[in-house]
Amino acid sequence: MVLNDDEHLRIKDLVVRFYTYEGIVKAIERANLQLKKGETLGIVGETGSGKSVTALTIMALTPPPGKVENGDIFFRKSDGKVVNIIKLNEHELLKIRGKEISIIFQEPNAALNPLYRVGEQIAEAIFSHRLKEMLEKAIQRIQRDIKNGNGGFAARLEFWTYNKMLENPNSISLRFVKGLPIIKNIITRRLRQIVREEIIELLRLMEIPDPYRVVDAYPHELSGGMQQRVVIAIALSCSPALLLADEPTTNLDVTVQAQILDLIMRLKQRFGASVIYITHDMGVIAEISDRVAVMYAGNVVEVAPVKELFKNPLHPYTKALLESIPRPGSPFKSIPGVVPNLVNPPSGCRFHPRCQYATEECKHKVPVLVKVSEDHQVACLLYGG
Amino acid sequence: MLSKKVVKEENPRIKELKFVLRRIKENPLSIAGLVIVMFFTIIAIAAPLLAPPIAGRDPYMIPRYGYSPIPKPPSPENPFGTTQGQYDLYYGIIWGTRTAYRIGILVVVASILIGIVIGALAGYYKGIIDEVLMRVTDIILAFPALILAMALAVAFGPGLDSITLALILVWWPAYARLVRGEFLRITSEDFVEAAKAIGCSDFRIIFRHVLPNAIFPLIVMASLDIGSVVLTAAALSFLGLGPPEGYADWGQLISLSRNWIIGTAQNPFAYWHVWVIPGIFLFLFVMGWNMLGDALRDVLDPMIRRR
Amino acid sequence: MGNIIATLGLRKYFPIRGGIFGRKVGEVKAVDGVNLSIRKGETFGLVGESGCGKTTLGKTIIRLLDPDSGKIFFDPDGSLPEDLQNKDNFDNLDIARIKGGKLKKLRRYMQIVYQNPSTSLNPRMLVKDIVSEPLIVQGICKGREAEERTLKMLEQVGLSSEHLYRYPHEFSGGQRQRIAIARALITHPKFVVLDEPTSSVDVSVRASLINLFKDLQQTMGLTYLFISHDLSIIEAISDRVAVMYLGKIIEFADSKELFKNPLHPYTKELFSAIPIPDPEIRRKRITLKGEPPSPANPPKGCRFHPRCPYAKDVCGQDEPKLLELKAGHYVACHLYG
Repeated sequence: MVLNDDEHLRIKDLVVRFYTYEGIVKAIERANLQLKKGETLGIVGETGSGKSVTALTIMALTPPPGKVENGDIFFRKSDGKVVNIIKLNEHELLKIRGKEISIIFQEPNAALNPLYRVGEQIAEAIFSHRLKEMLEKAIQRIQRDIKNGNGGFAARLEFWTYNKMLENPNSISLRFVKGLPIIKNIITRRLRQIVREEIIELLRLMEIPDPYRVVDAYPHELSGGMQQRVVIAIALSCSPALLLADEPTTNLDVTVQAQILDLIMRLKQRFGASVIYITHDMGVIAEISDRVAVMYAGNVVEVAPVKELFKNPLHPYTKALLESIPRPGSPFKSIPGVVPNLVNPPSGCRFHPRCQYATEECKHKVPVLVKVSEDHQVACLLYGG
Repeated sequence: MLSKKVVKEENPRIKELKFVLRRIKENPLSIAGLVIVMFFTIIAIAAPLLAPPIAGRDPYMIPRYGYSPIPKPPSPENPFGTTQGQYDLYYGIIWGTRTAYRIGILVVVASILIGIVIGALAGYYKGIIDEVLMRVTDIILAFPALILAMALAVAFGPGLDSITLALILVWWPAYARLVRGEFLRITSEDFVEAAKAIGCSDFRIIFRHVLPNAIFPLIVMASLDIGSVVLTAAALSFLGLGPPEGYADWGQLISLSRNWIIGTAQNPFAYWHVWVIPGIFLFLFVMGWNMLGDALRDVLDPMIRRR
Repeated sequence: MGNIIATLGLRKYFPIRGGIFGRKVGEVKAVDGVNLSIRKGETFGLVGESGCGKTTLGKTIIRLLDPDSGKIFFDPDGSLPEDLQNKDNFDNLDIARIKGGKLKKLRRYMQIVYQNPSTSLNPRMLVKDIVSEPLIVQGICKGREAEERTLKMLEQVGLSSEHLYRYPHEFSGGQRQRIAIARALITHPKFVVLDEPTSSVDVSVRASLINLFKDLQQTMGLTYLFISHDLSIIEAISDRVAVMYLGKIIEFADSKELFKNPLHPYTKELFSAIPIPDPEIRRKRITLKGEPPSPANPPKGCRFHPRCPYAKDVCGQDEPKLLELKAGHYVACHLYG
């Protein structure tokens, strides 16, 4: 059984390398992670840790010149079937992206197309994955209108259009009619109405105070916090089972960040989704995660439930990371040294040049994740890694 | 003493040059471009050796081997044959390379200098200075380049200097636009404001801080332009606006071949050498510089992005 | 110890241009009447969210931007008195409108460190040139002597001679920030504006930069204006802290006092929004309705009143003044008088 019953996603021995002019960047080196159904997994790491690459690779969107060299990503779809994302072809991936797994990026104005209204962009997501549902609703509405005597020639034309779209979306007659300038708006009137209502509902769910203004606005007319809510709306429009969030609040003000974090937690309850939340902010991790994975220079170095991690950090990097944030009662110290160059990473354990507990063995042996207690794993030779 | 304490590793600018050369080596088209350009450069430098001028005469005037209007085909005496009026084609091509470089470099360098001054003022001070300078630029750009150059060349009278001047006047606006755009972009960066915070004068900021960051696109544009300038100059010469007949200039040579492009009824290619040979050299020159310019752009662009 | 900087009614507006001819159609009131005084040798923290005007205030004080009205008193010896409202004989120390050579001389004593070290260093200049440029531009020294001072300064910030002949892009974020610090401090300024200097740097490196700032403050006798939106860093380094909202200072106190006892509703909300790095503690969050308004159209009366859970009628009409509620703790809120 590649996935346990309670697991939603499992990353196994993932290796991702970037082939650049300066050399081969060993961005992720044998990463192992599990995500249980319905939990929020926080991934914390700094620059070069590989956390963003991991998120993109889960969606099979590893940016070139990156290549997945090895490893598997097992994912349980909503119909119960387990697939290996690494081995899927583009056609199957299209069905998963946006529908089963969605991602929210750090820069909302990079995720939104400045040329299209916000409503159109959300509609695009809905049309990609929920067209059938929308068509059926539209057909129901036409039937209701005809019964109430509001039918007419236009209604019958719409009826024909929608049925045709359901049976044979690529038929020539359909394509012809859809190409006619004014006609194409008439024959899809109810469909667009229904999608618009759905979008307004979605925006309300995002706690946007005046969705009617926002739905017709361009991204630049909205503030950063609003834009990020729109991005979340797009991500959740098709009720994905797994939500990836790559530092979605890093560029937002503290007060807006607090609102968005609350929103994400509430939505997670409502949609019953599992969430992987990536950040470098330990405060956010403490607030939002059930379990935490700590990444350093392309390796997963520690995984534990959030309370356990803060109370009892085992890996020297985790300890040092906790000491480097200003906390009452904790020393405020930096970690000496710099993040390693991943073209020529240090031999053995990648953290050893900066580790105060490093031994000679650490320079030669690469530690692996071992279970130290019920739910606490560490990759460090100090604990038999 | 300081010199003992300071460890100077390999001069960083040499490291950069090596990086650029390495990237050029990796791309076959750019190697081809580099080879062609070097070929022409060597010809231009070695002109007196390859086609020794007759003492006492202006080396740019092509020696004549008679006065017959009918061009003669290549022979051991005239390796490329002769043109109408018996000008030695080989001599004309060799020294024509020098002329091509002369026009190309003069026009491009002068355009860059004028463009930098105007573009820097417009992009740095913005406001009304920017508006005025850019409208002047727009007016010149509104004319089709070749037509405007022709009109100016006619006004200045015939001659090589005249078309050089005409081309400079037509070419600088594009550089001014480019420099202005780069200046607008760079002056919004923090380090320019930081230079102001130190107390740098405007002059220092423009030349020491902004310009070195704006130079790469200029270099790329310049190398792509040398080919275009030479081509346009050849067009002007062909139309009779350039140097006098008998001057070693590719455009002039093609002009001399005007009546001989189609040969006799029996043999249409009887006089191919008078237009094919200068044509090929012109074509290769322009293409070589274009390839080099493309290669430079590919090399320099990611280097900028890398930073 | 007296004050080294004092501002009186400082205002900085940015015009909003619109229409075909770029006419001025409005103004962004980035800094709208700020009175503050900074003591010699202290670290003065300035917090607020984006759009509150804190960066504009910092840059205006050191004359990187020209104020639209108000006075900025600067006394490098630090003997400005507390209350300048009614004294006219300090006008010779008013730097709000000086220009030309006098302004250039001023730059020696007031410097700034920017947030993003990747964009605040000229990518085409060697480190040694970047750091020694202030010496040359200010005419302090040049040549061999400048090189020696540059090396000494680099060593003070934790770099070494091997870094002299390199370009900024060859360094990590933390190291680049140190280069920027060296550049700012090489002329031995008296007053330094630190504009979010640790925000673009990895979390694990921030502590060493903060310690560096503290050390340098001691050895070089510096006064800092530390601007940040990261409240935990502000708490760690500041002596006194001011909170800005939409161009005005709305609360101001000693650092410990402010964090223990925030009075203004906005300050309370701001502090409650910080995620606490301890999973055992659940944040008691005060969430506000609505979005922060734009500084082009600040609300009438108290600027915070549309979002304030305690707003009364008077809040929509009169702008509250900054009043001293307890010793050293000032608030601008009608709740307190």
